[in-house]
Amino acid sequence: MRFTSRPAAAVIGVTLAATALTGCTEEAVGSAGPTEAAGACDPADVTLVGQVRNESNPYEAAWLDGGDAFAEQVGLTQERLTYDGDSTRQQEQISQLLAGDTDCLVMNVLPNGDSDTPPIVEGAEAAGAFLVTQWNKPADLAVTDYDQWLSHITYDGVASGKQIGDALAEAIGGSGGIVALQGILDTGAAKDRFAGLEESLAANPDVELLDDQTANFSRAEALEVTKTLLTKHGDDVKGIWAANDDMALGALEALQQAGRTDVAVVGIDAVPDALTAIEDGTMTATVSSDGPWQGGIGLAIGYCVATGELAVEDIADDDRAWFAEQFLITSDNVADFTSPETSAADFECSGVFSRSQGPIS
Amino acid sequence: MTVTSPADAEVVASRRPRARRGVSLRDTGPSIALVVVVVVFAALSPGFRTLSNVQNVMDAAAVLAVVTCGVTFVLMTGSIDLSAPGIMGASAIAVALLVANNRNDLDLGLLGVVVAVLLAAALGCLSGLALVALKVPSFMTTLGVSAVGLGVATLMFAGVQPNITDGMLEGWAVDRTLGLSHLTWIAVACVLVGWSVQRWTRLGRYAYAIGGAEEVLALSGVRVAPYKVAVFTMAGAFYGLAGVMVTSQLGAGLVQAGKGYDFSAITAAVVGGTLLSGGRGGVLHSTVGVLLVTVLTNGLVQVGVSPYWQGGVQGLIVVAAVAAAVIPQRRRNQVTK
Repeated sequence: MRFTSRPAAAVIGVTLAATALTGCTEEAVGSAGPTEAAGACDPADVTLVGQVRNESNPYEAAWLDGGDAFAEQVGLTQERLTYDGDSTRQQEQISQLLAGDTDCLVMNVLPNGDSDTPPIVEGAEAAGAFLVTQWNKPADLAVTDYDQWLSHITYDGVASGKQIGDALAEAIGGSGGIVALQGILDTGAAKDRFAGLEESLAANPDVELLDDQTANFSRAEALEVTKTLLTKHGDDVKGIWAANDDMALGALEALQQAGRTDVAVVGIDAVPDALTAIEDGTMTATVSSDGPWQGGIGLAIGYCVATGELAVEDIADDDRAWFAEQFLITSDNVADFTSPETSAADFECSGVFSRSQGPIS
Repeated sequence: MTVTSPADAEVVASRRPRARRGVSLRDTGPSIALVVVVVVFAALSPGFRTLSNVQNVMDAAAVLAVVTCGVTFVLMTGSIDLSAPGIMGASAIAVALLVANNRNDLDLGLLGVVVAVLLAAALGCLSGLALVALKVPSFMTTLGVSAVGLGVATLMFAGVQPNITDGMLEGWAVDRTLGLSHLTWIAVACVLVGWSVQRWTRLGRYAYAIGGAEEVLALSGVRVAPYKVAVFTMAGAFYGLAGVMVTSQLGAGLVQAGKGYDFSAITAAVVGGTLLSGGRGGVLHSTVGVLLVTVLTNGLVQVGVSPYWQGGVQGLIVVAAVAAAVIPQRRRNQVTK
């Protein structure tokens, strides 16, 4: 083995280099006529690809299931891709896809971070593949500058932060002290969600924010921070606002260990454990972006354009980068979300933008 | 492995008998730093000086203390161990699936805990074997084992969170004896076990000696390799127990149960005066470091420092504490680069 390993490595290296070069040339050829291809696809020739970080995350697994549901609806199958939160792997998977037959390729992608979006967009544009991205995009990258990047969907963190803030204020009877658990402070999600809480506090003047701390979106950190805050503020704490469900669940454990049952807790994301807690009545509210719908809708937009039912020029600028509707889940409606399903009507070409709450400003 | 200069060997050799007599002056730096930090926070915040907050700090320190016990032995031998996140993740999911839970009908109770810790010890053993048999640096082997552990954990996780319903394990985090949660008592027991191993057993003695002057030890006819494997195995067992403790606290087995504990534990050990170059420090030093780090996290919240400032302030205090701790050693030219 020892003698063959070096030549083998060399061969693999050369092959990789060759593949990379081939990829470049094919992309260049593809870019010759991306617009002619648009709208010319036979529905049966369309390739559907959904790409998320991880199938071990319930939300992202549900996203891919939603993609499968849409694919089945149009008589196709979705190719499921995951990259384990590894930006390099995501780019490799995308370039492999784009090195193949791209004329009728539809991609619904969750970029790992803001900076991962531009290369994906440039690649799809050059190869003529139809691309929809969700969640992450640099603010200064305009979807309208591209023909193949059909749409970017995200969620208004300010709105969700306010929604759960209001639900918390209602749960504690409109007055009293609350504490806030923030996410990773330098992320847009944490900033927006906290801004939403501040809006909610302005609207509920009798609710007082006793303290805000970060628990970095982590269940374990939220447990420790909440315990500390409970000893600091004692019975003044009537509610806990958490920027995601993992932290809300950590806070619930801390409350249980402290023997407190009089504190309302809210979070965001609608993870299964949080839904169970809402069903049990230990948690007050969470917000869902509807993962299965996200998985289906990106493919639906791409499919409609690829098959010519929708022309890129006809998509309003406001629908190229938009906030999608999100749902406040409380004990009243939690049953609808514990086994989420997509409905075929959501993915009709005439209504793919029906959940828009307005353009990303 | 550390390359030790003859000067280092000399110092260690001359130091060993002195350590037996008691704590020397230059080991007290971290303890003094801890007292200063506690006094300052107590003066600034009425909330900090309450009994319930003391309980809180002890509870919060418990898991980190157990992880640090493990990592301290590895650091003493002059190796480094980054496998805690993976090993803790694997044992957390394993124990959550073995005690009463929402995923299967198993209800092994304490036996489940033992199996999870054994699994963790096996993973630790793997690091040690790779280090001595394949001559891979500990930095790489432990990173690799961490990835293996996370892989094992993800496989067992299989998309559905195992939540525990086992009364005994949940009770560890909730029930209190003499004011401290059972997790804290477990941590105290671990520290005592770790200290006994370090002080009274051949394994502990050799761990020091390997870090101080491995060549000298080898030349005097000691077979070093088995002791190194034993050190990593023991560290793995400690991480495994810590993973079980996190599961008890959170009521659920998380793949990310050990996230960040590798660096927190190494930080705590170094703050406490255990050198990264090996051969100095020990379990009690590291425990002081754990308390210092935990008190800092707790105190900054109690005093009401804005979360935007906390990371930076915490870093500054840690650097100051380490500097205070190592100044006496620097004079003797013992600080690693």
